[in-house]
Amino acid sequence: MIHPLLVSASAPPPIDSPTIQYGDLSPLLVVAAVALLGVMVEAFAPRALRFTIQTALAIGGIVVALAATVWVGLGLDRASGDVLARGRVVAEGAVAVDGPSVFMWGLVLLFALVSMLLFAERRLEGGLSAFTGQAAAPPGSAMEREAVEHRIEHTEVFPLAMFALVGMMLFPAANDLLTMFVALEVLSLPLYLLCGLARRRRLLSQESAMKYFLLGAFSSAFFAYGIALVYGFAGGFGLGDIDQAVSNRIDGQNLLLAGIALMAVGVMFKVGAVPFHAWTPDVYQGAPTAVTAFMAAGTKVAAFGAMLRLFFVAFGGASWDWRPMFWVVAILTMVVGAVAAVTQSDVKRMLAYSSIAHAGFILVGVTGAFVGTRDASVTSVSSVLFYLTVYGFSTIGAFAIVTIVRDASGETTQLSRWAGLGRESPLVAGAFALFMLAFAGIPLTSGFIGKWAVFSAAWSGGAWPLVVVAVLASVVAASFYVRVIVTMFFTEPTGEGPSVAVPSMATTAVIVVAVVVTVLLGVVPGPVLDLAQSAGAFVR
Amino acid sequence: MGADYLWSYASVAVVGLLGVALAAGMMGLNRFLRPSRPTREKLLTYESGVDPVGTGWAQSNVRYFVYAYLYVIFAVDAVFLFPWATVFAQIGWAAAVEMAVFLGFIALGLVYAWRKGVLTWT
Amino acid sequence: MTDHYITLSLLLFTIGAVGVLVRRNAIVVFMCVELMLNATNLAFVTFARAHGNLDGQIAAFLVMVVAAAEVVVGLAIIVSIFRTRRSASVDDASLLKY
Repeated sequence: MIHPLLVSASAPPPIDSPTIQYGDLSPLLVVAAVALLGVMVEAFAPRALRFTIQTALAIGGIVVALAATVWVGLGLDRASGDVLARGRVVAEGAVAVDGPSVFMWGLVLLFALVSMLLFAERRLEGGLSAFTGQAAAPPGSAMEREAVEHRIEHTEVFPLAMFALVGMMLFPAANDLLTMFVALEVLSLPLYLLCGLARRRRLLSQESAMKYFLLGAFSSAFFAYGIALVYGFAGGFGLGDIDQAVSNRIDGQNLLLAGIALMAVGVMFKVGAVPFHAWTPDVYQGAPTAVTAFMAAGTKVAAFGAMLRLFFVAFGGASWDWRPMFWVVAILTMVVGAVAAVTQSDVKRMLAYSSIAHAGFILVGVTGAFVGTRDASVTSVSSVLFYLTVYGFSTIGAFAIVTIVRDASGETTQLSRWAGLGRESPLVAGAFALFMLAFAGIPLTSGFIGKWAVFSAAWSGGAWPLVVVAVLASVVAASFYVRVIVTMFFTEPTGEGPSVAVPSMATTAVIVVAVVVTVLLGVVPGPVLDLAQSAGAFVR
Repeated sequence: MGADYLWSYASVAVVGLLGVALAAGMMGLNRFLRPSRPTREKLLTYESGVDPVGTGWAQSNVRYFVYAYLYVIFAVDAVFLFPWATVFAQIGWAAAVEMAVFLGFIALGLVYAWRKGVLTWT
Repeated sequence: MTDHYITLSLLLFTIGAVGVLVRRNAIVVFMCVELMLNATNLAFVTFARAHGNLDGQIAAFLVMVVAAAEVVVGLAIIVSIFRTRRSASVDDASLLKY
């Protein structure tokens, strides 16, 4: 394995003070500062004001970070020696600020912005947020009733979401494996907690938190061990160093292959690819719906970004080794996601299985591994970026609608209870139908362009059998999206029909934004597609 | 290094085995020779001469578990302080400032716990 | 010598992984995950020695910190579920099924 001559006890090199490019990292730093400020607000602000301050702080911070992202994006220079990539590696090689990074920063910040509006919704629960008043109080206890009576709220959800957002931004931008691992944990740990904080159905919520936590910790242990093996192979953590070691085919291929496999388990768990998908339906169903929306959109972006960077930059030279594995996983993910979704009777579980199927479609684009030619054909990276954009907005919109279809016990997630929603509220049912059509990939919705982009990138990359399977899976998937539409518009309600609660401006704004983006990206996808295309390639 | 090096630990293993054998032999002989008439008082767990209350599975106060959390704050400090201390002199003031910033972040967690009343024993 | 340490680390990792899959108590499952992370640390330190650089040792520190943070979050979730159900068995947590 390792040659004994390599073992040496020479003195380590002197350690210099690191240089950090604060300007390039400003979007990350702003969000981190907002999270820390949020903790201080929790500690010192009077209880009555906390919710307002936290909401304003989170939304204001995200807007500032978005402005900083645009500023960083405009200042990106062409990387030396590469025709496509723009940007540079900062913070001593820890973070790559390049086109894809900046695009994904902007994307997760936008998703976080609309998700924070969902977090801030207080009208649906009669003036209280959708999060439990006191997480420490057992469900149904006197302590819990007291918390409701005194209108106590956990406004910690905002700082927690901000910490998760920092992780989501750092994960796809990380340029060494260690930063990637830490970012993965910073992204995951707050989400585990957020999942367990639902106000209604707290047993389900706590259970989903525990499942997500145990399986997430399990998968991140695999990721960490994969990092250790790759480090053993390459002798460094930087993605560029690993790329060189892989390309030079140095000894220790077994270490490399085992490392690639273990790291793939880690990222595939996060995107919810089969066979690492088992947590997805349970967690999506149990978590508070606002958190589900944030998680479904944001985590997908972060995890796919990191997956692309990891496999294209670090393991690009070994693509003949990992592409077969991706073929199998992509096919399994599409088929299992689409088929399992057909049998679901719960809207949130149905959306969860749909997210698994969509992870499969995105994996098709990744597997194509098409780096593009000089003419303007769609590359794997830009097609995945575009798909993540359209999928994220439609998903947040769909979950926002789930929060407002209610009965006396909270959200009505039974699909059968949605019968007749089209008559009760044509607007809401129409918006949900639009999101379903976008998920199904019907022309004139954003989903169609997204699917076209990833499939054409995979086709150009030579993975045409995969594209055939993907189209077939899309047809199966379309059948259950259409079933939801039929249920809403053409089925008689049994007993008392569903009711649509009137939300505050926040949730309304989220649904409107999601509808507008879904239609707009379906009719005039050009600008965003160009932006994804100009995001170009990763720096090395 | 290698096999010889590992063999040098064999004497440690022998001492360990002898120790176990000695203790087991003495206790076993004792058990064999002595009369055995157990009564309830004799079987009670010895707790400084006081009769034990409740079962062996008594719950401890949940507050201890919160203190265990707080301990993590300091443990994380220490993990980074030690390697930092070895290179601090080489880098100088920049290192001192950066570590102060890091400790400041950690301290925010402690301040939060203090404001939430975790540190006061009621 | 390196091979021995890596073998030990692999064994520990496997014991941890199997433990996660077969044990029923959430706390024990969680301890098995920690065992996996410690096996990772052993591998990091071994490879650092083999390559003669410090990167692996730094990684071990960061993994320790991450493990500590995971303990806090994980125990909080498990304790809250225990207070509700008086049970920490992962088999009892089975409300979420289709």
